[in-house]
Amino acid sequence: MASRVDVAVIGAGPAGLAAAVAARERGAERVVIIERAEQLGGLLPQCIHNGFGLLYFKRDMTGPEYEKAFIDMARSRGVEAMLEAMVIDLDAERGITAVSRRHGYMKIKPGSVVLAMGCRERARGALGIPGTRPAGVMTAGTCQRFVNIEGYMPGSRYVILGSGDIGMIMARRLTLEGAKVEAVVEIMPWPGGLIRNEVQCLHDFGIPLLLEHTVTFIHGEERVEGVTVAKVDAERRPVPGSDRFLPCDCLLLSAGLIPENELSCRAGVEIDPVTGGPVVDQNRQTSVPGVFAGGNVVQVHDLVDWVSWEAEAAGRSAAAYADKGRLKRADGVRVLPGKNIRYVVPQFISGKDDVTLHMRVTRPGLKATVKVGGVMWKRYRTVRPSEMVILEVKGQALREAGVKGELAVDCEIRGGD
Amino acid sequence: MSALETEVLIVGAGVLGAATARELSRYKVDVTVVEKNVDVGWGITKANVGVVCQGRDTLEFRPEYHRTRLLWRALPLMEPLCRELDVPFKRVGAYLMIRDQVLKEKLDKLARRTESLGLGSDRYYPYPELKEREPFISPEIKGGLHDPEIAVVHPVYLTQALMENAVANGVRLMLETEVEGIEAGHTEFRVRTSRGEIRARYVINAAGEWVDRIAAMVNADDFVLFPIKGYVGVLDRNCAELAGSLLAVLPEEPGDMNIVVPTVEGNLLFGIQLQINRRHDRSTTDRMARKALENARRIIPEISEKDIINSFCGYLMFRNFEIGWHECEVAMSARVPRFINMTIGYPGVSASPGAALEVVEILEKDGLKLVPNPRFNPYRKDIPDFSMLSEKERKALIKKDPRYGHIVCRCETVTEGEIVEAIRRGATTLDGVKFRVRPGTGRCQGGFCGPRVARILARELGIPLTEVTKAGGASRQVPLRTKQLLEEGGGDG
Ligand SMILES: Cc1cc2nc3c(=O)[nH]c(=O)nc-3n(C[C@H](O)[C@H](O)[C@H](O)COP(=O)(O)OP(=O)(O)OC[C@H]3O[C@@H](n4cnc5c(N)ncnc54)[C@H](O)[C@@H]3O)c2cc1C
Repeated sequence: MASRVDVAVIGAGPAGLAAAVAARERGAERVVIIERAEQLGGLLPQCIHNGFGLLYFKRDMTGPEYEKAFIDMARSRGVEAMLEAMVIDLDAERGITAVSRRHGYMKIKPGSVVLAMGCRERARGALGIPGTRPAGVMTAGTCQRFVNIEGYMPGSRYVILGSGDIGMIMARRLTLEGAKVEAVVEIMPWPGGLIRNEVQCLHDFGIPLLLEHTVTFIHGEERVEGVTVAKVDAERRPVPGSDRFLPCDCLLLSAGLIPENELSCRAGVEIDPVTGGPVVDQNRQTSVPGVFAGGNVVQVHDLVDWVSWEAEAAGRSAAAYADKGRLKRADGVRVLPGKNIRYVVPQFISGKDDVTLHMRVTRPGLKATVKVGGVMWKRYRTVRPSEMVILEVKGQALREAGVKGELAVDCEIRGGD
Repeated sequence: MSALETEVLIVGAGVLGAATARELSRYKVDVTVVEKNVDVGWGITKANVGVVCQGRDTLEFRPEYHRTRLLWRALPLMEPLCRELDVPFKRVGAYLMIRDQVLKEKLDKLARRTESLGLGSDRYYPYPELKEREPFISPEIKGGLHDPEIAVVHPVYLTQALMENAVANGVRLMLETEVEGIEAGHTEFRVRTSRGEIRARYVINAAGEWVDRIAAMVNADDFVLFPIKGYVGVLDRNCAELAGSLLAVLPEEPGDMNIVVPTVEGNLLFGIQLQINRRHDRSTTDRMARKALENARRIIPEISEKDIINSFCGYLMFRNFEIGWHECEVAMSARVPRFINMTIGYPGVSASPGAALEVVEILEKDGLKLVPNPRFNPYRKDIPDFSMLSEKERKALIKKDPRYGHIVCRCETVTEGEIVEAIRRGATTLDGVKFRVRPGTGRCQGGFCGPRVARILARELGIPLTEVTKAGGASRQVPLRTKQLLEEGGGDG
């Protein structure tokens, strides 16, 4: 790569596209997206259902429509993209090594980097489901790709383990394809995805959602012939005698997403063990100077709109860094997850400026109050682990409260589950 | 269909069958290998931890045992063999450890025996010193005996390489060919297979899990096999630093086999949780998984459930339970001339070069003429492993073939070039590609690359995507087109 790259964005999903556009708008000369897939958009091209853009564009769009809107923006802002190009290394000085069929072996030293690699689905091995190893076990996202992009079906009778959004959406999609979905099996007492998906994808199609159940065994020699499903107790252990056999030729897994941070780790970026993503400050700068991160690589979002917004912040900061060769850290105050809060992103804030806090609760509840130290509080009718709580905190409030050092966020629940 | 005639028929392309085929390919002998699976090395050899040992790691290690003698013959051969075949071989060393000081006596005995047999002197490291060398071991460990000779190989790579080289030197390999019956005649065997009859002067029965069944076809089953199922867990690469050597705990009860093993690829394996089982069923169970993890955590407490990326079960075929573990049978049947049984319970991979030599000697003694094969070439080049190459090598490779610049598997950094080459060398299935060049063995387990590898397979083999299988037979990955169910009115949803 001959001429200088100001901002290199790794990944061309919604996060990468939004970060690149924002970096250009913020004045970065040369912004290059590096993407390993054949096309831009990350997972969006295979998300042919609606529900995208309600917040960002105030319109109900499909994944491809949302993607197109951002690709158009990227084109008109002069963002460059390299496809089928894989970043294989990132060092602590922002040095990128990438390879592609077209460009061969590349070394790039950009002014700044935005990590936008997104996340991957938890696989069978990681779930440790006992049983045989036949064909017909795959993640819901892989199935979605086969069905929506390639035009193939992995089976005709399904059980879906985990009620993540992709799993529930695939339950509906496969039903519309004439397949039978026996059940969606969820180990927790509440669904893993959005309520709207539970209603629109499962209830509306009469697909059973088995809460507090899990798959305890996979049967079948060459192909899946069925799974054993059992109830679980409070420790999430199968209850003896509660098992039953569900025949199916395919088991889809939709049991968790994991931020994809192999490259971040190579660069020495500090990872939050709870989110699985980089620890970031208010500007989405990671612990490695000049390396920024946004979208699902930081935390698994439930709405793409927030992915875009978060990545825009990262893109803007990256442009500012590339311009000056540095960006002051906005990390005066460490935000700590308190009672019934699993995590808060960003982990560090300036303590002086307006900031949006993203968080997830540990347990669901009614009539909840989320308190940001002594700075502010907000009431919620319901909170659920599957629905991110988003809170705008005013800089003025932070300054007036004289926040220093640490700031704990708690969620108090007055109603039950 | 007229019968195929061959001098030596080897039943089974596991590590033992493949090693024997390769050894025989040094001579002008007509050799045929039949394998019921679509690929080689998918029997017991596939579910294996890949340790190359010489037997001094167990108390049952006695010079009078046949398997000990095979191991001694095999051990000096393994590293040069791997070099000839360009198969990774890593001498990681091992610590045989104790948790109970009382057992120190047993370690001393082992060390003395090793020394008196002229196999070197193994040093004992008490816990504090051991911890310096293996910083993550549990404080429960009192110390360990160091065996520097222990190495690891990838048993399936080894088997593929042996077979590839044997075929290059003239051996006939017939895949998806299952032996269904054998008739012993005076001068030859008539072997009924799923692909027609084969007539052979000699039969080498290397059918692994099914050795006794094949032997029973001609009444050559003058031994009894006990199938013992063994569970192994696979840890993510990011755990590689937790163990630099093989860490084993001296069995406290018979049948215990508690080890953590680094692989040639940098993962750690743990197990082997054993259980007497009915044969064939390779399913993993929750109980075995829990127990194995618990045991592994007693070696390295930092091993965590969330680092497990995969697990599998295999079968150890034990002969003669009473006299200890691991007996083997590599001999011509006493009842049926020219019928050779070949089975090794535990260290079959380690012993394979020795066992192959012994079979060749048995054949020679029986009168088989062994004229050197003038075309024999002991060398075989491995598929380039992009992830292990230097920058310069990578550049050169991409320049030569741009497909090496297209990374298909993100977790293991596997390129399209490697996948195409694996298919050229005989992979016809997703597992076939996976067990040659590793796409899908990383932490996402094929979530990203699965559909892409399937597409490359379909393209290279010239078959529709619906015909691409995981491992042959009915294991088609995407058997239907979209809309097909709707058109057929199938599904009752
Ligand atoms: C969990 C586990 C860990 C182990 N770890 C080690 C280790 O670290 N080191 C070591 O040295 N050993 C180890 N072993 C032992 C080792 O795996 C075996 O000794 C070895 O693989 C046996 O090889 P094989 O060729 O006899 O059997 P196989 O690999 O089973 O080969 C037999 C072949 O015969 C074919 N076949 C069967 N029936 C027919 C038929 N009717 N017609 C045609 N083909 C047929 C099968 O499909 C198969 O491919 C381990 C075993 C287990 C289970």
